Amino acid sequence: MFRAILYSQWKWSRLIVAVGTIAGFALPLVSLQGAARADRSPLEAEALLHAVQAWGVLYPLLAAALGLLVAIVTWAPDHRGRHIHALTLPLARWRYVLLRFATGATVLAGPILGVTIGALIAVAAATLPPGLHGYPLALAVRFALAALVAYALFFAVSAGTARTAGIILGVIGAIVVVQVFASVANLELNLADHLQMVLTNWPGPLAVFTGRWMLIDV
Amino acid sequence: MSHAIETESLEYRAGKQFALQRLNIHVPAGSIYGFLGPNGSGKTTTIRLLLALLRPQGGRIRVLDGEMPDDAPRLLARIGFVPEQPHLDVTFTVREMLQFQAAFYRTWDARRAEDLLRQFQLDDHQLIGRLSKGQKAKVLILLALAQRGDLLVLDEPTDGLDPVVRRDILFALLEYVSQYKATILISSHLVHELERICDWVGVLDDGRLLTETPMATLKNGIKRLRVRDAPASIGTAPFVVLARHAANGGGGAVTTAGETWVVRDWAPEMASYFDGIGASLDDVIDLDLEDSFVELLRASRAPAGRS
Repeated sequence: MFRAILYSQWKWSRLIVAVGTIAGFALPLVSLQGAARADRSPLEAEALLHAVQAWGVLYPLLAAALGLLVAIVTWAPDHRGRHIHALTLPLARWRYVLLRFATGATVLAGPILGVTIGALIAVAAATLPPGLHGYPLALAVRFALAALVAYALFFAVSAGTARTAGIILGVIGAIVVVQVFASVANLELNLADHLQMVLTNWPGPLAVFTGRWMLIDV
Repeated sequence: MSHAIETESLEYRAGKQFALQRLNIHVPAGSIYGFLGPNGSGKTTTIRLLLALLRPQGGRIRVLDGEMPDDAPRLLARIGFVPEQPHLDVTFTVREMLQFQAAFYRTWDARRAEDLLRQFQLDDHQLIGRLSKGQKAKVLILLALAQRGDLLVLDEPTDGLDPVVRRDILFALLEYVSQYKATILISSHLVHELERICDWVGVLDDGRLLTETPMATLKNGIKRLRVRDAPASIGTAPFVVLARHAANGGGGAVTTAGETWVVRDWAPEMASYFDGIGASLDDVIDLDLEDSFVELLRASRAPAGRS
């Protein structure tokens, strides 16, 4: 069963996986190309760190985009067929959902591998100034976590019905309304900021996306 | 008699307009059961309840040897299903669809699948999305038959198809039943089609089961009678009077002269009943299934006391 579902998952998401793998492989190489030379002065090393940090913004974006797109294609054919085919297969619904989730996560291995190999090659090929070190595996692990977190979130949202989407929108709407009333009443309440803090600060689920994504660091 | 499907006071409400009302269906094991009803009568909803695609709001559903929806995964392994609308992934080829399906059914009959591919003249490299309506219907039937289930549930499987494809599909179904003694529940509003293949029939209208009977009983038991000199009140008859109107068919008031009666549960020996009420029976006219079906619907929709 896993193989059959994995095949369907691969068929639907292979273009996304291929583009994601190439992008993931190229990103570390491009971010260090021409930037890592042994004859750099300490000031240039700082410039290198800034360049690497600037490129680093693209890793969480790529991870989020991959998570989103793979999650969407995971459910799209089922949504098109109104889930009738899936629901008439002889397996429990939770098991089908688990298989779908697992196969989606499996195809994300391509881009993750792309980032890992790209980062290893980029660091191996570069001659780093004294005091700077490469962290290819740490970056790859972080990328993997970010891609899987994004995939899990979007998988849950796209697995839901229109009612679920309505509930999510309702919660967002309620937050906005409360915020508007709070500001009209001059209350010290900033729900959006508070929510962002909860989500993006450790142990918030989106913490992995924040901070610096450095292939090269001190 | 054992039943492949049995519902007890099944209830389901979809919005304010439609509800299945205490539905009691009994599909005998090994039968081909025609589930007849006009569009919107609740056939598809009932089928979705039988397959645990919907959860009943009341009553009980027993399918094969288990309860729906509690035993759904186990029972679905023994049920082939053809839905009203093709639901398969359009990006798969026919071959890929067969391989996908085979992974889920232990009883998958690969040889039968190949035979049916040939018999239906399907190109297995063709994308599902590029198949014609008739070819898609054939693929769905192929998948249901190759699963080799004990029960096939077919929701209007031949609706909108040309006669050649319809005949191919019905032939494959009959062949399957004769080979595996399986049970088939087939819903349709194409009455002539069911008349040819079904041995049991259930008629549904507006969420209510009007009748459930062997096909022969329905076909032979509903008659149009030409009656003369019948009194306005006829007391308790040995048959069910579905409709009674003036013989000219104009829908006017019932008179003591010529009348046409449409009756259910008729048997020839009941002719003597008319002597007892001082009337005379001039003629007994056979109705085909379509006429019987229409008369049943008319009677069920007529305001109380009109018949």
